[in-house]
Amino acid sequence: MLAPTMTAPARGARTQGAICIRDVVKVYDPDRAAIMAVDHCTLDIAAGEICMIVGPSGCGKTTLLNAIAGFHSITSGEIHLDGELLCGPSKPLADPGPDRIVVFQNGALFPWKTNLENVAFGVVMQGKMRKKEAYEKARAMMADAGLSGTEHNYPGEVSSGLRRRVEIVRALMNDPKVLLFDEPYRALDSLTKSVMHEALLEIYYKNNVTIFFITHDLEEAIFLGHRLVIMTSRPCRPKLILDVDIPHPRDYSVLTTPRFRELMDQTIEAVHEEARKSFEAGEREG
Amino acid sequence: MFREHAASMQSPPSREAEQLIVRLLKRTMPFQVISESMLQSVAGVSRPFSYRAGEVIYRAGDKADDVYVVVSGAVEHLLSETPTTVERNRVMHSGDVYGWAAVLGQDKRVRLATATCVETAEVIRINGAALIERLNEDPATAKVVMSRFATMITREFGAPAAAAQIAAPDPSRPDAPAAAPRPQGQATGLALTMFRMSRWLRSPKPLLMLLGFALFLGFWYLSVEVWKLPRFREMPGLTVVFKEWFSKNPTYGLSFYTPEYYEHIWVSVRRVGIAFFLATALGVPLGLFLGWSRTFREYVFPVFEMLRPIPVLAWVPLAILMFSGSETPVIFLTFLASFFATALNTMLGVESIDESYTRAADCLGASKMQVFRHVIVPGAMPYIFTGLQISVGVAWFSLVAAEMVSGQFGLGYVINTSYTMVRYPTIVIGMITLGAVGYVTSAMVRVVGDYMMQWRVRELALGGR
Ligand SMILES: Nc1ncnc2c1ncn2[C@@H]1O[C@H](COP(=O)(O)OP(=O)(O)OP(=O)(O)O)[C@@H](O)[C@H]1O
Ligand SMILES: [Mg+2]
Repeated sequence: MLAPTMTAPARGARTQGAICIRDVVKVYDPDRAAIMAVDHCTLDIAAGEICMIVGPSGCGKTTLLNAIAGFHSITSGEIHLDGELLCGPSKPLADPGPDRIVVFQNGALFPWKTNLENVAFGVVMQGKMRKKEAYEKARAMMADAGLSGTEHNYPGEVSSGLRRRVEIVRALMNDPKVLLFDEPYRALDSLTKSVMHEALLEIYYKNNVTIFFITHDLEEAIFLGHRLVIMTSRPCRPKLILDVDIPHPRDYSVLTTPRFRELMDQTIEAVHEEARKSFEAGEREG
Repeated sequence: MFREHAASMQSPPSREAEQLIVRLLKRTMPFQVISESMLQSVAGVSRPFSYRAGEVIYRAGDKADDVYVVVSGAVEHLLSETPTTVERNRVMHSGDVYGWAAVLGQDKRVRLATATCVETAEVIRINGAALIERLNEDPATAKVVMSRFATMITREFGAPAAAAQIAAPDPSRPDAPAAAPRPQGQATGLALTMFRMSRWLRSPKPLLMLLGFALFLGFWYLSVEVWKLPRFREMPGLTVVFKEWFSKNPTYGLSFYTPEYYEHIWVSVRRVGIAFFLATALGVPLGLFLGWSRTFREYVFPVFEMLRPIPVLAWVPLAILMFSGSETPVIFLTFLASFFATALNTMLGVESIDESYTRAADCLGASKMQVFRHVIVPGAMPYIFTGLQISVGVAWFSLVAAEMVSGQFGLGYVINTSYTMVRYPTIVIGMITLGAVGYVTSAMVRVVGDYMMQWRVRELALGGR
């Protein structure tokens, strides 16, 4: 799948898309219950890095992603993108925009638009391109991702793996600095998943955007990421940051290397500890 | 493009027709990559044909000789059900290739699908055996074309079993077909809808429907006129009603042959039409805003919810006081319940939209108005049409109530006056007519809904509906 001539850009080779998360706190307060979801979380993500986020269920990963995307406000702290303030004390809610595009867990292609119209949606809405021009570019980008022939299908007519690819192309169409993934492959079977992983890496090698990727699948996390951030149980904060020192470009053969197994063991240990804590906390509350 | 070559044409294509075929083949997925001279050679074994809408091009089980390429028009490809495939259909347009069973192994050249022309279509047919022979002159090209066929079959037709049977594709070649630009001209939704209707007519479903009607009418006839069951005895019998209905000289003055009959129908249809139109024009926007704006909803919804349960009949006195004449009050009464049904369903439709759609639109840089236009309105559409179907139903319901109270014409009026004037068969004529006209109007709403929501129709079709 990956041509041998393809070279992986060094991490941070790109100058745009560095995320800087400083002391972010998020407290949900429904009926004065004060649930602390994120607690003084500090994390730096370099431009062009694939940063994988893992952590126990309900620890606050999505909350952090929503804060970056601008779907939810933060209680305190600051988030910067390339030195520009996204949200902070003066402006708790970031403005959502095409520089940070989310790929959702259940997919959010508009079912009432064809795949082509979906891909062209962003640039047409922003008035960056005329419709005709946008469709042309969309068609070319879809062809690049091996999606020719599905332009005029509605998302509901194609397989879920294909839908995910279309959604990623829709995001890339806007030339974003950051892609935010919230467990996008959770619902896929493992075979489709492995195809999607290689496809994602291929796209990444071409575009080199910063990727913030939440997952529960440790194999996926190590296979894709430059770094792995293991979060504590709620309230979430990085517990352990692991450098994945397997060089890119990677393909599925790295899964069988001893280094991969080693990293896997380390991660499992850390994650398991947090998962147990979170489970026990749940027991106490319940 | 090929109209001058009639369907019967069998001689090899002329020089310029051949050029056209080469140009067409270049746009198709399997042939896109091959050399000009090879394309010329393939064009040499191609024959243009044209088909009328509704014509079956081939059926599952037929012997497969030719591969087809659509030049213009639209063809529906319906994969028949086998243990390994589910029924799946796909509509094909210019540049699409189908009929690939013709390039499978010798013993497998049997159609797995049925291809039907949806819109007058021009196609070219390429003999499968001849095609393979020509391609084999250059084995490398043959390999690429076959592998593309395999990719196309699995990806676009969802027929994995058949793909495995095709000449084994080269595993070292990644399946990354380049763009096959397709013209924007899609089969119009209307043609597709008409085609579905004609297919319905050819299926066994209409027969079952007729059987249901026969049972119902038979029971009516037997219980009233033959068995004379208690309670049923007093009812007008089937033969009496139908004799009256089809009489050139009806005893009670209303039948298929009297102009009054059509006048009553027309008056009722017109009232329902106006009321339904107003209810839609006002109810849909109101519902959209109720669902979209929290503040607006806080002002309006409580009042709305208080007015909604008031029955139509309770509005009659006010309607008569408010509006002069006999027409406007009836239309107003018919309008009311429809309006509430439409607005409420539209609001629920907006609420049903998954948050991730609006968030995705925000991410992609859509403004608030654009989100409304491109996400809220189409997202609520399925609920809106459910609401409209309910709305036509309640419009007829309220119309009859209104016509019974005040009104000079109309089917409700017919039913009511026939009762006071002891014209019992006419009551039943009025009732059946009402039922039939009501059914037609609600079917019309459904057809319009399907037409406007092709995406949903296709999704449901894949779900096996
Ligand atoms: N809108 C909200 N109001 C109140 N509490 C919330 C809200 N959203 C999330 N929470 C709570 O905050 C905590 C963190 O939620 P979050 O969705 O960020 O977790 P997560 O790490 O993404 O979990 P998962 O792995 O299950 O997706 C959870 O305990 C959840 O109940
Ligand atoms: Mg989550």
